[in-house]
Amino acid sequence: MLNNFMIGLARFSAILGGIVLTLLIVLTCVSITGRILNGWMHSDFMESLAPAFSQWMLSLGIGPVNGDFELVESGVAFAIFAFIPLCQITSGHASVGILTDKLPERVQQFLRMVVELIFAAVLVLIAQRLFAGMSSKMRYGETTFLLQFPIWWAYAASFAGSVVAAIVGVYMGLVRTYEFFTGRIIIWDGAGAEH
Amino acid sequence: MSTLEIGIASFPALMILIFLRVPIGLAMFLVGLIGLSIVTGSTNVAFARLKNETFTTFSSYSLTIVPMFLLMGHFATLGGMSTALFKAAEGFLGHRKGGVAMAAIGACAGFGAICGSSLATAATMGRVALPELKRYGYSGGFSTATLAAGGTLGILIPPSVVLVIYAILTEQNIAKLFLAAFIPGIIAALGYVLAISVYVRLYPDSAGTRPRVPMKERFVLLLKVWPVLMVFGVVVGGIYRGWFTPTEGAAVGAAGTAVIALINGGLRWPTLIESFMVTARATAMIFFIVLGAGFYNGFLALTQVPQELSNFVVSQGFSPWVVLSLVLVFYLIFGCLMDSLSMILLTIPIFFPVISVLDFGLSPEHVAIWFGILVLIVVEVGLITPPVGMNLFIINAMDRETPMIETYKAVMFFVASDLVRVVILVMFPAITLFLLP
Repeated sequence: MLNNFMIGLARFSAILGGIVLTLLIVLTCVSITGRILNGWMHSDFMESLAPAFSQWMLSLGIGPVNGDFELVESGVAFAIFAFIPLCQITSGHASVGILTDKLPERVQQFLRMVVELIFAAVLVLIAQRLFAGMSSKMRYGETTFLLQFPIWWAYAASFAGSVVAAIVGVYMGLVRTYEFFTGRIIIWDGAGAEH
Repeated sequence: MSTLEIGIASFPALMILIFLRVPIGLAMFLVGLIGLSIVTGSTNVAFARLKNETFTTFSSYSLTIVPMFLLMGHFATLGGMSTALFKAAEGFLGHRKGGVAMAAIGACAGFGAICGSSLATAATMGRVALPELKRYGYSGGFSTATLAAGGTLGILIPPSVVLVIYAILTEQNIAKLFLAAFIPGIIAALGYVLAISVYVRLYPDSAGTRPRVPMKERFVLLLKVWPVLMVFGVVVGGIYRGWFTPTEGAAVGAAGTAVIALINGGLRWPTLIESFMVTARATAMIFFIVLGAGFYNGFLALTQVPQELSNFVVSQGFSPWVVLSLVLVFYLIFGCLMDSLSMILLTIPIFFPVISVLDFGLSPEHVAIWFGILVLIVVEVGLITPPVGMNLFIINAMDRETPMIETYKAVMFFVASDLVRVVILVMFPAITLFLLP
């Protein structure tokens, strides 16, 4: 029950991150198209061929999206935080198992428990520190260069992602602890990643 | 302990953690955090850094390229490009001795041109080519080894996620690195084809025969490859010509492959969700390593270990070539144990300052690019070297009938081809630098 909820939460978070990433891709493509069209409309060729048309296009505001990379940076930070829970619950982090694979099963389970508990602590620390970072950005009223939106908005979005990551991280720590003490495996490596 | 000694002591500490199966990103993060706290006397500095460091790392504009390229590779598969590439290559090469295996290499090279990751290339082409290799009587170990080796072309042939990371670490131009990787990538594919023809001559029973495809039909198959050529041309050409930044190029590539996959019917809601899942998992893994490495390298820079090491190497007056060879051998050995990205992130900040002060008779920029390509190749060799080459595991897992040991035996031919190529590229830097302006 709780397990399904956590897997669902991680997947939902990953999908949300994926949607944001997709929107950023679309935004970037729109911006490039605008920039290229703007260049054409300003070219001698178009100005002599269809001056009225190119003036009309330019007056519509055809051009690169203002501050597109600021949106990309803020958005992608959120997306990556939103991706972490899935990696956590599917044990997707790169590790070297060549020595530990030879150890007895119990020892391996113990190591997994310790690692997962430390990981949970680190994810909580990251979320807590990000909150501190957000608070100071809020206090000083920092804004982005071009779009002038408050930087803490971007921090807030990332913070939301980091909270989900911390929740799933703590859950995984508890799961591995339970598994060590009972010997019952609840989550196999990579489960939930295939769908 | 002096600061320098703490820095040096952090290596064994890090290695112990990694070999206890602590995820590599987490291990680097922990050692960096603890090391920084010891050196500065409290956790204040480390915690203050952490206020902004996760956000700035994850919001890096240049690194946005990574999830976009991952998504693009997945969309390319959904759009049927992997199948089209393999069918076309099979049409031209399939009837030769070992030809279906050669076709798999050719298709991997083609797929590498629209995919920035080795594991993804190996996995994708494995699904497409493995059944076909079986059908024409290719032996299990030979088939799996071919695909594992072919997968490494995914990262050698631009675009390449690892090269992007290298470019950011060493402040080099991504477009130039992509360009420099091109010829070594082609040589790699040719070297693998050569390895296949040697293998089938030594073990004639390992490959069956396939009927010849009529010339007309071959060109029909070749025509279906046009989306791959188009996407590659626009993305890599556009980045190189300066039409757009590498990040924008990745966005264009992802959008382009998505449109093709939509038209071909490969991209539907469930497959889109699956693309998000695969991308999410790989992206989170990569960025956590980037974050950990940033923290660890920040600590290391504070302890002056990289400067001291390069001062030491210079003062000892070692031959540049000996130093380079030692570094490459180090990568070959550790590449057997660690994944390529972690290796690059962990070691480039230490080795690059050393290499960049040595005199190879090249401009500093050329040394940086040449060294990057060499490192890329040697860490990729690690992906197919027993006992823990990741590509070997991925492909072997797809083929339950083939024991791992069979894959290990056959892959040595490809490893040998890799080693010969490294020696050639070390001896003749001009091959790597040929396309550069």
